[in-house]
Amino acid sequence: MTDIRLFGYCDPFSAQAGKPINFMISAEGTSEVSAEIVRLVHGDFNPDGPGFIEESIVSDVPAKLPVKRQYTQNGSFARVDDAQNLLALASPLTIYAFIWPSMPQGVRQTIMGRWSVDKSMGYALGINPEGKLEFWIGDGKTVDQVTADAPLIPKVWVLACATYDPKSGKAHLRQIDVQNSWNSHIGPVSPYDHNSHVSEKLRPVPKHSDADFIIAGSHEENPERGRFVSMLYNGKIDRPGIVGRALDGEEIDAISSGNQPDDPIAFWDTTAGFSDTGIGSTFEDTGPYGLNAHGVNRPVRAMTGWNWKGRDDSFRLNPSQYGGVAFHDDALTDCAWEPNISWTPPANLRSGVYALKITSGDAVDRIPVIIRPDKPRAKVAVQMSTFTYLAYANEHLSFDAQIAQAIVAHTPVISGDDLEYNKLQEFGLSTYDHHSDGAGVCFSSWKRPIVNIRPGYRMAGMNFPWALPADLSLLWWLEHAGYDYDLITDHDLDREGTAALSPYKTIINVTHPEYYSETMLDATEEYLTQGGRVMYLGGNGYYWVTATCPDDPACIEVRKLDAGSRAWQAEAGEGYLASSGERSGLWRSRGRPPQKLVGLGFTTEGMDRAEPFERMPDSFHKRVAWIFKGVGDEELIGDFGLALGGAAGVELDRYDLALGTPPHTLLLAASINHTDNYPLVSEEVTYAFPGRGGSQDPQVRGDMIYFSTANNGAVFAAGSIAWSQALPCKGGENNVGTVMHNVLDAFTSNGALPGSQYTGDEKLWR
Amino acid sequence: MTQIRYHKVGRRSWEWRLKPTGVEERNRARLPGSKRHWLKWRDVHNPKTLKRERILVDKKPLWWTLGLSALVAVTPFLPNSMISVVSIFCIYAAINVLWTLIVGTAGIFSLATLAIVGAAGYVAAAANVYLGVPWPFMLLIGPLAGLIFGAILAAPSTRLDGLYYALLTMGVAEICRVFVTQLRALTQSGGAITNVDSFIPKDWFLQRPGLLLGFAGAFLLLLGALLVWRLVNSERLGMLLRVAKTSREDEAFAEAIGIDFRRARLMVFVISSAALGVVGAFYAMYFRSISPQIFSLDQLLLLFAMMVIGGLGRAEGAVLGAAVVTLIDKGLIELGPPRIILVAVIMIVVTIFAREGLTGIREQFRDFRKRKSGERRALRTEKGGEAMPEEATEIHDKQELYYRRFNKRLRDRLKKLISPELIEEHRLDPLGHHSDALARVLNHFRRAEMADKYVIHRMVPSEERFRVMAVSGQRGMPPRVVDDREYTEIREAYHAVFLLRVNDLLES
Repeated sequence: MTDIRLFGYCDPFSAQAGKPINFMISAEGTSEVSAEIVRLVHGDFNPDGPGFIEESIVSDVPAKLPVKRQYTQNGSFARVDDAQNLLALASPLTIYAFIWPSMPQGVRQTIMGRWSVDKSMGYALGINPEGKLEFWIGDGKTVDQVTADAPLIPKVWVLACATYDPKSGKAHLRQIDVQNSWNSHIGPVSPYDHNSHVSEKLRPVPKHSDADFIIAGSHEENPERGRFVSMLYNGKIDRPGIVGRALDGEEIDAISSGNQPDDPIAFWDTTAGFSDTGIGSTFEDTGPYGLNAHGVNRPVRAMTGWNWKGRDDSFRLNPSQYGGVAFHDDALTDCAWEPNISWTPPANLRSGVYALKITSGDAVDRIPVIIRPDKPRAKVAVQMSTFTYLAYANEHLSFDAQIAQAIVAHTPVISGDDLEYNKLQEFGLSTYDHHSDGAGVCFSSWKRPIVNIRPGYRMAGMNFPWALPADLSLLWWLEHAGYDYDLITDHDLDREGTAALSPYKTIINVTHPEYYSETMLDATEEYLTQGGRVMYLGGNGYYWVTATCPDDPACIEVRKLDAGSRAWQAEAGEGYLASSGERSGLWRSRGRPPQKLVGLGFTTEGMDRAEPFERMPDSFHKRVAWIFKGVGDEELIGDFGLALGGAAGVELDRYDLALGTPPHTLLLAASINHTDNYPLVSEEVTYAFPGRGGSQDPQVRGDMIYFSTANNGAVFAAGSIAWSQALPCKGGENNVGTVMHNVLDAFTSNGALPGSQYTGDEKLWR
Repeated sequence: MTQIRYHKVGRRSWEWRLKPTGVEERNRARLPGSKRHWLKWRDVHNPKTLKRERILVDKKPLWWTLGLSALVAVTPFLPNSMISVVSIFCIYAAINVLWTLIVGTAGIFSLATLAIVGAAGYVAAAANVYLGVPWPFMLLIGPLAGLIFGAILAAPSTRLDGLYYALLTMGVAEICRVFVTQLRALTQSGGAITNVDSFIPKDWFLQRPGLLLGFAGAFLLLLGALLVWRLVNSERLGMLLRVAKTSREDEAFAEAIGIDFRRARLMVFVISSAALGVVGAFYAMYFRSISPQIFSLDQLLLLFAMMVIGGLGRAEGAVLGAAVVTLIDKGLIELGPPRIILVAVIMIVVTIFAREGLTGIREQFRDFRKRKSGERRALRTEKGGEAMPEEATEIHDKQELYYRRFNKRLRDRLKKLISPELIEEHRLDPLGHHSDALARVLNHFRRAEMADKYVIHRMVPSEERFRVMAVSGQRGMPPRVVDDREYTEIREAYHAVFLLRVNDLLES
């Protein structure tokens, strides 16, 4: 018996009742799966909670679906739109690009060319497995090449230029040093000689196949898979071009000092097209034929180019120094599979997290989709943190990151799914991973199978659910407690702004609303000033400056830099988002610490155990005492939970007037007794000194706060990822739930909030 | 002052390196009619200076040129007797090179090499003597005869296994010998054909100009044989066979992956046979006669000795072996019969001590040195210890050396913290508030490098069944299962990993 393997994803992942959703499935070992739509009620199988619950939904999805194996194109590259085959050159030619190869050794890579791997036809400029620049041609029988002498040094800019004359067969290959003090990984004091000039007479005359002209890859084709791109390139390419004659030495020298030839066939000016709000995936050809190149799997733009001088640290200051485009052989932002089925949820479908459940033999897969109602129906909206889900999508930390076990203070507990995804390495990386050349991953999209949004999935590093599967605990409790709710997503908020929030009395933030765009911050802020009420029930929220790609909202972009708990660090000058033109990094570095909005901000993280909250004096003030109705004066709140056994844990947020917590904020409760595996976060550490762990540093804690805003608005915040996962304990009847009840009942009522009449001081205690 | 005993490690590079500059144009010429360059130069950055250096990666062409030009330069100054020794060496070397092609490249263990040479020689000589064909045509008749004879001999090679085929070919040689000795027409001359016309004029025969002309011819013959060897080995035919070489045991496998293995072998056999035919014709001309002696077993074994001494399967082995044996057999003729013993002794010594003949000695010595240094290294190495000097020269990131030193000292301190109480503390609460000692030990464990780092595997989704695995540290390489123990509680699994790590720590 062959193993059956099922993978799938849907588009849109952030969907709406009444609008179609496409499901894409790849199956091996079977040609048919049974399918049904299920509503995901609870994810984690932890015996302390309600367990794994899903409900079958009657839908028009056929019970059996035909499926087949679908292939995924990994790696980023750019395909030139050359319908008339103008680049199938028979004339002499010059092909050149500035390159910053990041992994020149090991396998053959194509910088650019019209090369067919399977037919050995065409021409290309690339890097041979020995790590040397090479220009090669092929006539279908013989492949011949000219190879540079000087080995390429990783992450150092050079001009790569080949000229070739088919009449004489003469080829020149030049590699010219353009390193300066700023642009490369090492500086001019390392006495390498990066230059090389080799000339040879090549034997065959290139013949051309139907291959595309590709930048950073080569065309390949086989009967099973069809057309695809291989021999991918790792590193940056800047301003590539082709001229229809063999340039002489002086003309090539001119390119290396920044002058372009006057008569190109194509010149992809990677510095063209920048606007104040970034740049897309199309490389403009400013030559006579306009042969634009289209990026696949999002080559990274807004990167420093060969002529970067360090003074201008953003493309917005000087786009002419930002022609660098980074390519990665393991990038993936769109599997581009054929849809197997399109399902339109009925307009009256209850909002919730649903999934297409496909089964064949022992293999089961659930492809989750978040469905928003056709129009606002409930008083409460839960804002599902789809940006966060994408940021962590298919993270490889337990397999790749040496420090991961030290951070989480756990031995990872991996599942069969983890093993499968890790073995395949086919469905892309998260923004917590590195590309094969060590560069951080800045794009993540939902157009690919994502293992860690599956219900019941536990994050390997810490052995409890994370993000979407964890948020199901909150949804389960809301249903259990009898509250109607609508789901909206980060994507909805990012697209619609305040309009997405204003129909609701209360917005609930889920466990980990970490990735936020400017629109989302602005909308939340405006909502609060207009009298909206926010329950911030997460840890480490509103943290990273994030944007969706304007041409594809399925994909988010973030760059990690400067400060914060960052899995990687953007290179100097590469901290601005290509998708929005904003400086990425932490919101607090841009004047918008989360404390200004919801009173709390990230202060510590740890994954060994979670602790309870303990009431603080403010909680007895009549203004807020109603929140603790039914909770004892010295009762610990949440000394239980599905995540590490407490309501305060995993990632914790702190009240801090210095960071803009509204001055009238009441500190209701704080968590106690954290271990030293909860250290103070790096953005709080200016001078490093010992004793910043939970047992010694008072800033290591999670806070519960409350403050009112204009027009009867208010914020209740419990700054802990573990909060929502405490709700399902004890059958859903527990003191975390009591607090939730009290707040929700008040927040969903019209008019003034309870306790709002108490605006004085000590007499209003108790 | 304490004296540290330093170990001399590393190797100085003695080879001559060019110091190129990148700005000058370098025109790389190629061998006419081929994609090959004359010499295989490679530029590298010297890791100690970062300066560019150009090294000759493949030095064989250099040695060949030096060796062969020395032969050409020296021979005209040798006495007459030595000139003929050199010429005979050239002829034998040519035969050996072609035989190497059959045995090495094609992998057919044929002992009929001299039989082909002889048969072709006889046919060519007979054509000249009895049919009056002028001598230049002998160089066409020879290979034609070799080709036909070779084709006939090749046929059974696909049917018979190594040893049986070798016996068969030896039988063929013997049949040839008996055949020519019993030919009535040749009985007067004892089976030999004499008075063969030659490229050496009759009155120069055995005179100095004749000997020099003979040497010139023999030298060209050797060059020709080397050219055939090179062409077969470096073109498609040789590449196919090299691909299949790993699976010579299993021809069916080679064929399954699309290599027509048998055909390629037969082609090499037939091509070599034709070339041997040229040698046969040349042989008859050079000696102006040909005798049944060529089919004899002792000649065959002498040739075999040459290949064994030089190194089977290599052209340079075939030539060097021919030089050694010819020098002893023909050059030291005044020694008498003991010289044959000498050849035998050399052959035995070489077979015992050298894996691949004389030409393989250098590589064998390198392997030997590597093994020895590996053994010495293994003797002094300690698990989790500091880097040894010979390792240090190989580690690019020097910070790694400090980490090794630091971690060794850290581990030494941590080892002292391990106690039954500490282990019990962990067992009771693997994820709790820990004592300072346990926290330090755990933190060290968790920071370990990724390769072979322990993880826990949940064996069935949503079930509490665990086992311990270790990840590879390489992307896409799955983890390995550490042992077959299963745990039904996650705390037990955490503690099992802890115990494994304590064990690793104490062992280091």
